[in-house]
Amino acid sequence: MSLSLFNIALVGLIGLLGIGFYGLMASRNLIRIIVALQIMVKGALLGLIAAGQVNGQVNLGQSMALTVIVADTIVAVMGMALGVQIRARLGTLDVRALSRLRG
Amino acid sequence: MLPILTLLIIALPWIGAACVWLIGDSRPRLLHTLATAFSVLSGLVALSVLPFATSEAVLRVSLGGIFGDFALVPDGLGVFISVIATVVGSIAVIFAIDYMKHAHQLARFYALILFFIGAMAGLALSSSLLFTFFFWEITAVCSYALISFHNDDPNAVAGGIKALIFTQVGGVGLLAGALLLYAYFGNSEINTLLTQHQNLPPQVLAAVGFGCLVAAAAKSAQAPFHSWLPDAMEAPTPVTALIHAATMVNAGVYLLARFYPAFESIPGWRVAVMTIGVLSALLAGLMALAADDIKRVLAYSTISQLGFMFYAVGSGAIFASQFHLLSHSIFKALLFLSAGAVITSLDTRDLLKMGGLAKRMPFVHVMFVIGSLGLVGLPLANGFFSKELILEGGLEHGPFWLYLIMLLNAGITALYSVRLLWMVFWDKPHGAQPAHDGMPAMRISLVVLAIGTLTTWLLAGNFGQLLATTLPSHHVEAEGTMTLVEEIFTASATWIALGVILLGFGIWIARPAFASLARVLKPFAQSGFGFETVNQLIVRATKRTAALMQVTQTGQLNWNVVGILAGLFAVLLILLQGK
Repeated sequence: MSLSLFNIALVGLIGLLGIGFYGLMASRNLIRIIVALQIMVKGALLGLIAAGQVNGQVNLGQSMALTVIVADTIVAVMGMALGVQIRARLGTLDVRALSRLRG
Repeated sequence: MLPILTLLIIALPWIGAACVWLIGDSRPRLLHTLATAFSVLSGLVALSVLPFATSEAVLRVSLGGIFGDFALVPDGLGVFISVIATVVGSIAVIFAIDYMKHAHQLARFYALILFFIGAMAGLALSSSLLFTFFFWEITAVCSYALISFHNDDPNAVAGGIKALIFTQVGGVGLLAGALLLYAYFGNSEINTLLTQHQNLPPQVLAAVGFGCLVAAAAKSAQAPFHSWLPDAMEAPTPVTALIHAATMVNAGVYLLARFYPAFESIPGWRVAVMTIGVLSALLAGLMALAADDIKRVLAYSTISQLGFMFYAVGSGAIFASQFHLLSHSIFKALLFLSAGAVITSLDTRDLLKMGGLAKRMPFVHVMFVIGSLGLVGLPLANGFFSKELILEGGLEHGPFWLYLIMLLNAGITALYSVRLLWMVFWDKPHGAQPAHDGMPAMRISLVVLAIGTLTTWLLAGNFGQLLATTLPSHHVEAEGTMTLVEEIFTASATWIALGVILLGFGIWIARPAFASLARVLKPFAQSGFGFETVNQLIVRATKRTAALMQVTQTGQLNWNVVGILAGLFAVLLILLQGK
């Protein structure tokens, strides 16, 4: 496995996804969870751009990435807004307090 | 022109549903008018398509590789079922003008009814099993919503949910059939199945066949899925008439008749269909004898008449089954709507409080007697001819012991019909006072249906011709009406059946002699022969499993995330495997 640009991107992608995944599972703080989610999405972005580079459709990969950035921003903003509401109602950002979905 | 007309059969009720829904409850008179106009119009359109029935698709819209084509095929069977749905449906709507006069939330009521009628027409006209499934599910949802129309009554809500669950169990069978078909043929066109079924591996064909049988039995309320139909009686009476006569329950018989050429070669399939029909007819007949609610008696009689139709399909008498479907939809609508008139007039459904209405509700009495003639199958009512054809077909092409039980069922039908007539009209009064003898719109719809009951058998020849020319795979033999009538009157099976029916009447007259037998049977019949207990057991088991699974619902965000990601990886792995 040579150290081509694609392989570097691949390693970065897996790393970002892994960090994000770990953050999602391990953090209790809602802000941290949103940040972890962002990291995961950034990994996916990297994947999109790298995939576009590899199969020659650079434009497609980059425009997909742009679309994801827009959607992702909305997700982040919504998450933050929910965080503000949760802080106002429950007085904490600890997700363990949010157990209304318990069966 | 034909494509537009065919599309309009479905579109008109749906446009009407949207209009009624948007207008809202504030203008009831406009709602009555609009609902009647749209349903009657769609009925007329369906009738106008009837002469042009063809086995070719008249309208084809491609929806891509997976969904295939959405095509409408107005062949004999499809147009016939949609005519029943729209015409009998519109009569029920006309009846509802009086019945629902003082009801609230009329917009919801009419919108759902029109949506229901349109979906039923779509179910019969669409050419691919996938779209048949879609329309099938729409009718299930509409029936649920209409049965629990009085949603502040817990019984109505429970009845609606029961109907939904039972028909969903069947829907799974249909969906499995459609998916298997897609997996083997690359599309789910019904025609492909009918013409190329011999290319399917036998086990797969059997799976599709029995899947469709489960679907049909659940939809048509056949044993062991019959117990939702009596509980659906909580619905307003026009809805019951709609479900029992015009739409819902016909779908099952339609499905079996439609696929008969493909499934007849499956070992055991035909006998299974016949056995289900015979058993349902027998159990429902006995339960009808023990029921004390006028609508429940009629509900059980629907199950037993649908049993006759299943029996006919199983014995290969497709024409007889569809002819009986036609007869049944008319006389059962008549019976239900007459019962509705009795119920609004007395404000009770309890048979024990009725009696002596023959003199005080003479008009409804005559209508009810005509409907009962059809139900029992006495000459000159349409039910006589179709039922004799069914019994004749069963004798020729089915096992003899099933034929014997079916004969017994004809006798039981006579017995419970005369019991019903006796308790409502001929016995001495038991308290309840009638307020009216049918209101104007009620009378109109009753008279139309009564004329239909007495005359539709004259169309038997044309109907056979229609099925024979437009259903190439079904090998229906067409005969003229007069030949058919002559055949029926000269067949020995007819006279045997008539004898059994008279025997049924005789048993009612000599009922004190059978009192001990009735005492033994009555508790079983009233408890529904234990099917309800089995249902309860299944519900309890499901609830217990759900309680066990609750442990996995921690409500913790982190665990939920793990679940989502694990699911994602599982999907990715499956996709990689399939590559």
